Amino acid sequence: MIIYLAIFLGCIIGAILGVNAPVISYTYSSYLSIAIIAALDTVFGGIASVVKKNFDLKIFLSGFFGNSILAIALTYLGNKLNVDIYLAAIIVFVGRMFNNLGIIRRYYIDRCVNIIESRKNKKQENK
Amino acid sequence: MKERITMAISIGCVSLILVMLMFTQFKTVDKTDITAIETMRETELRSELSSWKSKYDEVEKKVSEQDIKISEYKEELKDDANTSSTLEGEVKEAEAYLGLTPLNGEGIIVTLSDKDIYNIEYDDILRLVNELNIAGAEAISVNDERIVAMSDITLVNNRIVLVNTRKISGPYIIKAIGDKKYFESALNIKGGYIDSIVVNGKGIEYSLEDSITIPAYEEKEKLEMQYAKQSKED
Repeated sequence: MIIYLAIFLGCIIGAILGVNAPVISYTYSSYLSIAIIAALDTVFGGIASVVKKNFDLKIFLSGFFGNSILAIALTYLGNKLNVDIYLAAIIVFVGRMFNNLGIIRRYYIDRCVNIIESRKNKKQENK
Repeated sequence: MKERITMAISIGCVSLILVMLMFTQFKTVDKTDITAIETMRETELRSELSSWKSKYDEVEKKVSEQDIKISEYKEELKDDANTSSTLEGEVKEAEAYLGLTPLNGEGIIVTLSDKDIYNIEYDDILRLVNELNIAGAEAISVNDERIVAMSDITLVNNRIVLVNTRKISGPYIIKAIGDKKYFESALNIKGGYIDSIVVNGKGIEYSLEDSITIPAYEEKEKLEMQYAKQSKED
């Protein structure tokens, strides 16, 4: 329960801070966006690992910051090399996000199906 | 329980950072009013900008070079102007010697006139011109005909006097620019020009002036050397 409260509080405070934050220049906003995609990927990965019941806080945190920084570094390198490396990063991250979303979806569908079936069984038993 | 709290705090921090970044990015994208086309062309524009910058630098360099050249040319022009002004002065001086420019200065006006039966002969005029030249005349005219190097004073048909091959008639007014006192004394020498004219019963008057204007040589034929060539002095 305390975790949900922490997430809720973090979201609200983050939103307030983000709205009041200064507008960064367009040149760096591409770095920021790729960092956000990496972070989102890690978050979905974390949720999937919770679903799979092998969630590790250290891995989650290191992935959150490490992936973001790595994505930014790769984008910077791509800019220097005149290759759009950030496209590859986006493809990888978004692909993994869909993977993790699939895992989460399957888990919750299974749970729903289980609940409905158990209810049916209960009803049948009652009859 | 302790583990759960650290977990909650770290996850809360993570969500805080993530949401903050997202909102910052939303705001940035919202505020930066750039259409998709411009986003696509950004790198292009950047390279173009850099190329323009280099071009600008080049052009500036050229401009400074041209400026230097211009200043050099200006200096040369100044020198040229100096030489041309000296040349012009030389030309003017030469023209003055040649009699191609009207001149002004102090001098003498001599009027020769027929008296009774004694007429002024052409050689009277010729002699007067000679006398004046000896006395250091710088410019002479006879009835406003400028005497130059190629001038002639001749007699045609025993009656008609020609100066510069133009017919003239009496009274003959001879003007000369030079030292007027010297002229006066040169003409007044005993047994000199005036005496000879007076003895022959002809009329002569003269007046000394501070300012006489002598007209330029009117070219009937162009002053042109046809046979004479400049001799080379070695």
